[in-house]
Amino acid sequence: MIYVENNSTDPFYNFALEYYLITEKQLPEDQVFIFWRTEPTLMIGKYQNTIEEINEHVAKENGINVVRRITGGGTIYTDMGGWQFSFITKGVGESIDFNKYIGPVIDGLKKLDVPAEFNSRNDLVIHGKKFSGNAQCMLNGYTLHHGSLLFNTDFEQMVKCLTVDDYKIISKGIKSVKERVTNISDHLNRPVNTDTFRKLMVDSIMQGSHKEYNLTLADQDRIKTIAKEKFESWEWNYGTSPKFNITRTGRFDGGKMEFKLDVNKGKITDCHIYGDFFGTMDISVLSDALIGTNYEKESIKKAIEQCNIKHGFYNINMDELADIIC
Amino acid sequence: MKKNIQMPKLSEQMETAVLAAWNKETGDMVKKGDVLFEIETEKVVSEVESMESGVLEEIFFEAGDEIKADEIIAVINCD
Repeated sequence: MIYVENNSTDPFYNFALEYYLITEKQLPEDQVFIFWRTEPTLMIGKYQNTIEEINEHVAKENGINVVRRITGGGTIYTDMGGWQFSFITKGVGESIDFNKYIGPVIDGLKKLDVPAEFNSRNDLVIHGKKFSGNAQCMLNGYTLHHGSLLFNTDFEQMVKCLTVDDYKIISKGIKSVKERVTNISDHLNRPVNTDTFRKLMVDSIMQGSHKEYNLTLADQDRIKTIAKEKFESWEWNYGTSPKFNITRTGRFDGGKMEFKLDVNKGKITDCHIYGDFFGTMDISVLSDALIGTNYEKESIKKAIEQCNIKHGFYNINMDELADIIC
Repeated sequence: MKKNIQMPKLSEQMETAVLAAWNKETGDMVKKGDVLFEIETEKVVSEVESMESGVLEEIFFEAGDEIKADEIIAVINCD
C-alpha cells in the first residue's frame, strides 16, 4: 500500500485525483490510500437525482459545493470538521467486500478508545449513531472504496442542506437513507485536534509504512483539468441525473399556475401547464419554450424572456416564474 | 446463437440490484469485454462487461429498474 498525501480541500480536485489514479496514472502498488477533507460540500451518489437530494437554495446561499461522486449510495454533507478516506485497489473482487477496507479504520479508532461498530448499511456507528458512510465503485479494473468520517462536523448546516423542499418528484434514482449521526470528537476521552486525528488514523492504517507517492506538477495539472472538465461541470452534477417528473406550483394575484415537467439527462423533455390563470396568449407558447431547456434557473429564465409573454397573462409575474419552475 | 445476459450476483446477501445505466443500445455491436451496463447494489457501483461478442438484440429493463439476481436482462445474438 502506498500513501498519497493530499492537502487540497477542493472536492472537485479531490474526486479528480481518485479518478486520475484509476483511469490514467496507474501506480505500480496494489493499493493507494488517501486521507483528505473538503470545504463544505454536498456529495451526491452516482445515480442520484441531485435536485431531489439537496436544498439548492441553502447550498447556493452558503456557497456550498455540489458534486456527484463516482461511487454509489446516498448524499452526504462534508466540511472541514470531517475527513474522507479512499482506498484504490487493483482488481475487482469476485464479491463485494467492505470489511477489508473498514476494518483498518475501526482498528485506528480503537486506539483512541472509540467504540466503533459496523451496521447493516455498511456504515460505522457509535451507540447506533452513524459517523461514517461508505460506498464503492468498480471501474477500469480497480475497486475504489470511499468513506467519510464525521469528526467535528457542523450538523446544523448539514441538516439545513439536506432538508429538501417538499416538491412532488417522481424518479427511479437511488434514494438517500436518513440516519441519526454523531461526531467522533464527542466520544473521545481526551481532546484530540483534527490534524492529530488525521495523523493517528493515517499512521494506523499505513501500519508504520512510510511508502508515499508525491504528486508531480504534471500530475496536479492533469488532475485540475479533470476536475474542471468532469467534476465541476453542470452535465456531470445535474445532467446525468436519472429522468424524473416534477410538479411545481406558483400562486399569483392572477391565479394558480402548475407546471408538470419531465426531465431527462438534465433537460426538460415535456411540459404541461395547468391552472386558473387568464391570458391573451396560448400557454403552449411557454411550454414549447421550456421543452429542450436545461432544468436550471438561468436557462429557464432565458427561455421565458425569449418567448416574449410578459404581458400575455393577467397578473402573473413572469420574473418570478423561473424561481417557481426550478 | 442467442445468449441471455443475467443480472450478476455480487455478494452472497445480494437479492436485487438497480440497473443504473445502459452503455449500449438495442442493435449495437458488442465486443467481449465491452461495458454493457452499470448496476448499483449495497452502495457499490459496478460495471458489467459482456462475456460475448455479437449484436445486442433485446433489452428487457430500463435504467432505474430494480432487478433480481440472475434475472435475464438482455439477449445478445452471437451469430
